[in-house]
Amino acid sequence: MNPMNYIYLSCILFSLGAAGVLLRRNAIVVFMCIELMLNAANLAFVTFSRMNGTLDGQIVAFFTMVVAACEVVVGLAIIVTIYRSRRSASVDDARLLRL
Amino acid sequence: MNLAAIVQDQTSHAEAVLFYLLAPITVLSAVGMLLVKKAVHSALLLAAVMISLAIFYILNEAPFLGIVQIIVYTGAVMMLFLFILMLVGVDSADSLVETIKGQRILGIIAAVGVGGLLIALVSKGNLGHRLFGLEMANGEGNVQGIAKLIFGQYVWPFEVISALLITAALGSMVLAHREPDSDKKDQRALSEERVRQSAQPVAGLPGPGTFARHNAVDIPALLPDGTSSDVSVSDVITARGHLAKPGDFKFLETSDDDREGN
Amino acid sequence: MNAPNIEYGILGPILIVLAAALIGVLIEAFVSRRYRYILQTGTAFAAVALAFLQLVLIRQTSSKAAVSSMSIDGVTIVLQGSVLIFGFLGLLLIAERGFQSFTAQAAAIPGSNEEQKALVSGLQQTEVFPLTLFAISGAMLFPAANDLLTLFVSLEVLSLPLYLMAGLSQRRRLLSQEAALKYFLLGAFSSAFFLFGSAFIYGQAGSTTFDGIRKSIVESGGSDQFLLVGLALLTVGLLFKVSAAPFHAWTPDVYQGSPTPVTAFMAAVTKVAAFGAAIRIYYFAVGGLVWSWRPILIAISIVTMAIGTVIAIAQKDIKRVLAYSAIAHSGFLLTGIIALSKDGLNATLIYLFTYGFTTIGTFAIVTLVRDSGGEVSDLNRWAGLGKRSPLVAGTFTLFLLGLAGIPLTSGFVGKFAIFTAAYKSGNISVVVAGVLASAIAAFFYIRIIVMMYFSDPVEDGTSVVIPSAMTVATIAICAVATLVMGIYPQPVISAINSLAFFAG
Repeated sequence: MNPMNYIYLSCILFSLGAAGVLLRRNAIVVFMCIELMLNAANLAFVTFSRMNGTLDGQIVAFFTMVVAACEVVVGLAIIVTIYRSRRSASVDDARLLRL
Repeated sequence: MNLAAIVQDQTSHAEAVLFYLLAPITVLSAVGMLLVKKAVHSALLLAAVMISLAIFYILNEAPFLGIVQIIVYTGAVMMLFLFILMLVGVDSADSLVETIKGQRILGIIAAVGVGGLLIALVSKGNLGHRLFGLEMANGEGNVQGIAKLIFGQYVWPFEVISALLITAALGSMVLAHREPDSDKKDQRALSEERVRQSAQPVAGLPGPGTFARHNAVDIPALLPDGTSSDVSVSDVITARGHLAKPGDFKFLETSDDDREGN
Repeated sequence: MNAPNIEYGILGPILIVLAAALIGVLIEAFVSRRYRYILQTGTAFAAVALAFLQLVLIRQTSSKAAVSSMSIDGVTIVLQGSVLIFGFLGLLLIAERGFQSFTAQAAAIPGSNEEQKALVSGLQQTEVFPLTLFAISGAMLFPAANDLLTLFVSLEVLSLPLYLMAGLSQRRRLLSQEAALKYFLLGAFSSAFFLFGSAFIYGQAGSTTFDGIRKSIVESGGSDQFLLVGLALLTVGLLFKVSAAPFHAWTPDVYQGSPTPVTAFMAAVTKVAAFGAAIRIYYFAVGGLVWSWRPILIAISIVTMAIGTVIAIAQKDIKRVLAYSAIAHSGFLLTGIIALSKDGLNATLIYLFTYGFTTIGTFAIVTLVRDSGGEVSDLNRWAGLGKRSPLVAGTFTLFLLGLAGIPLTSGFVGKFAIFTAAYKSGNISVVVAGVLASAIAAFFYIRIIVMMYFSDPVEDGTSVVIPSAMTVATIAICAVATLVMGIYPQPVISAINSLAFFAG
């Protein structure tokens, strides 16, 4: 098997995540789709790391996990605040701001 | 340099078998994540994707990352997601009504377009060298290799990331931590207040019949001064007019004759 | 294995700001509410001033630092200096407590008794100061980062505090929380693109450092598929941050919903940081791929200018007008990157420096026009401001002329420099579009000025409040800078020209 298959897989997962961000309405699900995109990026980093024979890619993937954990904390805090204010986590209900 | 150079770079057959087994599962889980209605199901499917990715990491000679992926991502981050989902309402589901007309179709076209473009572009690319593999880099062990880089070349981002962790902690405190309400009375303050306002009995209401002749429910309690207490009898009984007065139970003057008469 | 060497001296400015942020967190933890404000402001201002002092001391540095994770060179010094100055001005606005810009308790539900009680107490959330300092340190790291990992981490250090700060407004809290959610979701979305792009660049170059990427492009002749895919995705991520079209949709909403002092801070500091990082990437790391990225950036720059200026005309909210103006300015700034020359580099830095003062000044004035319910951002109610308060209207006019790029204001100097550089590099199309867009933009700036002076004030409770010394100082500094750099720009231009070099 060609290791490029991992890269194809990561491209597919990344596009699926992007599609989810565009299609889903629930803020938490949208955020989970963003996590899927970050995971796809990590898979690409790990695969390229092996192809290049250096560990740098694995380090970046490792740091990404930490960054993603921080993002999750902040993001979920914001979502919970919104939910408490209006009892809904749908991004459609968040529509005071528009043209 | 050319495609032939890459074709030589084959991984082991065992890896290929595992990949072809897991990759469809991963993609299907990801697709399912977009299609299922309930947020919790999405979260579980995402966890499935993450676990498959952990296996791919281990296949890609990154055992440390594979384990971290399971512990940190699947174990901590996904649990945080589930926790919030439970908090927000476990049956929160997406409405399937389109608010922006044609948004779904446009979204699908955009995503398929981006995905197709990415794969088409990537398939034309090659690294210009063969698959190196990590035997050299992992020579001392994967964890040792990573440690050397984190505390060597990447020590600065490693230190900077602490600012990120502190920001996250501070941010969640700002948005979610409520200061304890200083005006709220504790138990002690409440009981002291009750004693001070003597309109209510401190030790609760007297039951019917206390200190009276009978302890039936329609007999009001007697207060220390001998008057009867209205609060000791249920309002229903008072309303029905069944309330017995203390006066109804006077000692009858009985004579010896009466007794003997029996 | 030897311990890695960290050059504390030349990283000093960043470390001072980070240390002050940590002290701020400790103050939140251990000091009683009454003394927090005075301690937090003291720490923040002292830290930014000290960091600036240290920056002046190391201004001649031109080297890699922290195991070549950072590149402290003339470009970095100019950008970090701008970030510190705008950070200081932003902090002054954030520290203004007369206007009750920040919520007393972000965790309290809007409209609840708890919120009422917190409002009555008159205290406001002071966590905003350490958050601002974290954002400033992120903005100082971002343009100095010299590898993809540091770049990504500092992007997040810059963004996370801003997501939080956007949601802290006291008035119209639902709007503010919504702005935070939008900013967060779109910011995280763009980070994912940024990261995926970095993965492909790393894949092709085999290294995360900019030097490694540069070398790999030189060696391979720049025809690598992965590198191009990576650069495209990375560009998407960066364009989100600088709010260039078609990735600008979040900007008006976030600018409108955030507390105005935060908007002022964000508008100036993020723009400097993001364009600073963009300069290093496009000029230094992938300069060799210029024939691939230049046409795309030209198209994006023209579209951004067009959208920013045309949609701004239809806006009725002053903060949204300024947001679209910020989008248009992103388009103008992109021409500096397209130029890819020493002139272009100088011009971009000058433009960023002049733009920051003007934009902070504009938002500072927005905080002054209020009624009983808070700021009045409806543009129609600004009518007749010139009769009601000539001084404020006059200063606002100066800032608007600066944004429009009328001669004798700093905006003209920046625009002139950047269009000259783009013209010299042979990118005529973008210069023509830029000049046209500036002309259209001038129309709506002047429309606001006309409305302020030539229509009668409406008596609807709108008034100009007298601010405290902090806001006055901010407006005064910004106004003087806009005017002085417009009339006599030579010292600033020559200082930036002599500093702006990359460490090789």
